[in-house]
Amino acid sequence: MAQDFQLKLITERAGGGDPIVRERRVEGPQASIGRGADNDIVLADLSVDPIHARLRFTGPGRVSIEAATGLTVEVNGKAVPRADLSAASRPVVRIASYTLAFEPGEGEGVVITVTREADERHLTPSVFSLQSRVFGRRNMAWAFGSGIFLVCLLVPLLAVLWFNENKLIHPDEQWSSGPLSTAHAFLESDCKSCHANAFVAVRDDACLSCHQAGESGPKALARAKEAGSPFQPLLVVDHAPRERLSKGTPLPDGIGAKISTVIQRAVGHPTDRCASCHIEHTKPTAKPVDAAAPLTDKPTLVVVNDCQSCHARLKMRLSDTELVDTPDWNRHPAFKPLIMTAAGPKPQFQRVALTSGPQERNGLTFPHRMHMDPRGGVARQAIELGKAAGYGSPLDCGSCHEAKGVGFRPIEMEKDCGTCHSLAYARNADGSLKLLPHGELQKVVDTLAGRTLAAPGGAGRERPGTIRPTMFAASGASAYRATFSPGGTCYDCHSINWEGDVVKMAPVKLTQRYMPRGAFDHSIAEHGALGKTGKAGAFKCADCHKAQTSDRASDVLVPDLAKCSTCHGQPTSKIAAADDADCTTCHAFHQPGEATPKPGHPPLNTLRWTQMMSRRPGA
Amino acid sequence: MTQAGGHTERVRQRTHEGFLRHKGFLWAQVATGLCVVVIGVYWLTAIRLHEPPSGGSWLGYLLGTMGAGLIVWLACLGVRKRVITAGHYSLKAWVSAHVYLGLSLIVIATLHTGFQFGWNIHTLAYALMMLVIASGAVGIWAYATLPERLHGNRGETTRRQMLDMIESQDRQLHELAQPLDRDGAAVVRLSIEDTDLGGGFWKRLTGSYDDCANRRALARLRNLPSPTSAKQAEALTKIEQVMQQKAETLALARRQMQITAVLEGWLFVHIPATFALLAALTAHIVSVFTYW
Repeated sequence: MAQDFQLKLITERAGGGDPIVRERRVEGPQASIGRGADNDIVLADLSVDPIHARLRFTGPGRVSIEAATGLTVEVNGKAVPRADLSAASRPVVRIASYTLAFEPGEGEGVVITVTREADERHLTPSVFSLQSRVFGRRNMAWAFGSGIFLVCLLVPLLAVLWFNENKLIHPDEQWSSGPLSTAHAFLESDCKSCHANAFVAVRDDACLSCHQAGESGPKALARAKEAGSPFQPLLVVDHAPRERLSKGTPLPDGIGAKISTVIQRAVGHPTDRCASCHIEHTKPTAKPVDAAAPLTDKPTLVVVNDCQSCHARLKMRLSDTELVDTPDWNRHPAFKPLIMTAAGPKPQFQRVALTSGPQERNGLTFPHRMHMDPRGGVARQAIELGKAAGYGSPLDCGSCHEAKGVGFRPIEMEKDCGTCHSLAYARNADGSLKLLPHGELQKVVDTLAGRTLAAPGGAGRERPGTIRPTMFAASGASAYRATFSPGGTCYDCHSINWEGDVVKMAPVKLTQRYMPRGAFDHSIAEHGALGKTGKAGAFKCADCHKAQTSDRASDVLVPDLAKCSTCHGQPTSKIAAADDADCTTCHAFHQPGEATPKPGHPPLNTLRWTQMMSRRPGA
Repeated sequence: MTQAGGHTERVRQRTHEGFLRHKGFLWAQVATGLCVVVIGVYWLTAIRLHEPPSGGSWLGYLLGTMGAGLIVWLACLGVRKRVITAGHYSLKAWVSAHVYLGLSLIVIATLHTGFQFGWNIHTLAYALMMLVIASGAVGIWAYATLPERLHGNRGETTRRQMLDMIESQDRQLHELAQPLDRDGAAVVRLSIEDTDLGGGFWKRLTGSYDDCANRRALARLRNLPSPTSAKQAEALTKIEQVMQQKAETLALARRQMQITAVLEGWLFVHIPATFALLAALTAHIVSVFTYW
């Protein structure tokens, strides 16, 4: 048989179904392959050259295939320019999308089955829609959703619940709903310092750990320092026991606020916490009152209940309270100063209404009227003492009451009375005076008992109370008797009784503060500025304190509330110095008995530890 | 009377009522009413609140609960649309409510913030919500205007027909190129094999196909050396004609794609942002109560 190529041309039907098979013979010994219509084997593929390759019989059942210059054919998966094929091994040659499968044919010929890979790439209308494998809607949705869930919730939550001590990274910082005030900014990344327990609202323990006044004060300061606070925390106390405060506080005004409070209490978010009024993580409500000390320095203060809201009907909620209900300034109870009922080392006090004309028992004999009479003997003596001794004119209040801070320094006998009421009882060898000790009766007695009197040279006019040496010259035993007798040094001011030969003296104690539950600032210009540079028309001491008509030390010279009312609570139309009658002017929430500091005061910077340190002497 | 009634019925049947006009803007009215009430309550209350307005006040909690509830309900449209029902709670009604209540969230959520923003999870949730709403607004615009343009663009030709035309033109090119030499065939192959109908997101959206293979093939076709035979010359002329026809078909189809891309593109933001929002919302709520 001749060497010929027995071709089987298989064409797949476009619509499916049995393929079309055409058979043809090409006489050997060679055959051309290409796209050109004149080839022996026509491959209608544009990737195929017009004349692409040539087949040639090299023996029975053996052919060689040779591609045109520069071209290749793929024989059994390998691209080669030429190859020898043995039909017996059934080689497969690929040219573009065509496959030529060789097998032994009849006689010495070979059968070549030519098939074409069907092009299955048909476009469907879905190509008009946006599609993306990587950035598909679903993929992105899950990626973003789970990413945020992981980063913003799961990781911080795990860190909060299980890795409390981690100081390096703070994944929970992203939960902060706003910045902290400057005072607390050092805690910005330490959420747990205040939010101690998950799902529990910030409790007072957390605040008080740095702010508790009283015995825990030093501990609180130490803790604040340890936590890294650059500022010294202000220490506070409540103005009443906590449970009484809670009991005495009504629901706030307004339906919304009432509902909110009830619900908050019910779900464990009580409204009587420090954090209920001192708000963090928020921008301040209003413009700062003082530009130099903006509120953002410290947590924003929110007043939920003002003084009146509790004290208007306090008795209704706290039946055992001694406080009088004070719904407004006009119903402010009359002053009940704290009056000394017994002097001595442990004086006893009692609150007595001014209206009942109280008398103090401070043990002192002291007529203000006599001392302040501008034409009296005291005035004369003061003039005689002269400017050099600190007098030189009739006595006024400032002669004895020395201004200090918002009030006055306590009276000291030696300093404030001693210039006239001399304690001298003898002279030293050098001529200087020996002074009796003041304050303890026994010491006076001992001093007098152990001394001998030297006769003084020439007795001039004696100042009141000056010990008269002539009396002591009489006998040693009578020396101190004379001191404690009419005309003696002590007798002028002290109440003295004799039990036989034993002297008994009523203890003396002067009240330093008559109104411990309220603050009165004497240093304010309108209040007289402590007698220094009072405003024109400002109060003078005598306007409030009727000292010039007081004959007894037991007189209580505290003015009554009506005096305050001349300015406080008056409209400006009535008086230029009018002022509101704000409770906080005299009563501070956290410092009973002190005036409420203005917002932002003390300025934060003054609380810096470093400043505190540098102000300390020797530091 | 009956005649009048029948007439009305016919008019109603003829007029297509889209989701925007559903039931005479019922949900638009509901949403507007909601916004007015909320703004009014905020205005009256915020100044009387003891604390600075924030999500932590009673009004804040109220608005927050409303907002969170709305967000979850709005997200449920994805579930609802896969269930086909009719009547009062038809999908059209849902979409209408979805659109208008979704827009009302702008007011509710903004008031919930008390106008306090920062770099935190809370503001992230707010920003994501606004992104969802903004993309949704683009969607409303797209659905209201684009279908008409889509129709105007394609005329009487269906998308299927466009694709068939391109395939048939490719087949023609293939047949016509058979007599060509290697270089000529390569040019035709470029048009047939390398022409990318759609392309990526941005390509579709901007409709810029300067590097289109068919366009390049046309340019190269004109620069081919003169054909050696009359047969080839004739083929080349015909090929150029077909390629130009193909270019026109491609332009038509691509304009369809561009409009479709806008019509569908907003969902590529809307859906992923919604999932991100749901996660951020969960984180927002849980974190607020963790650090109460």
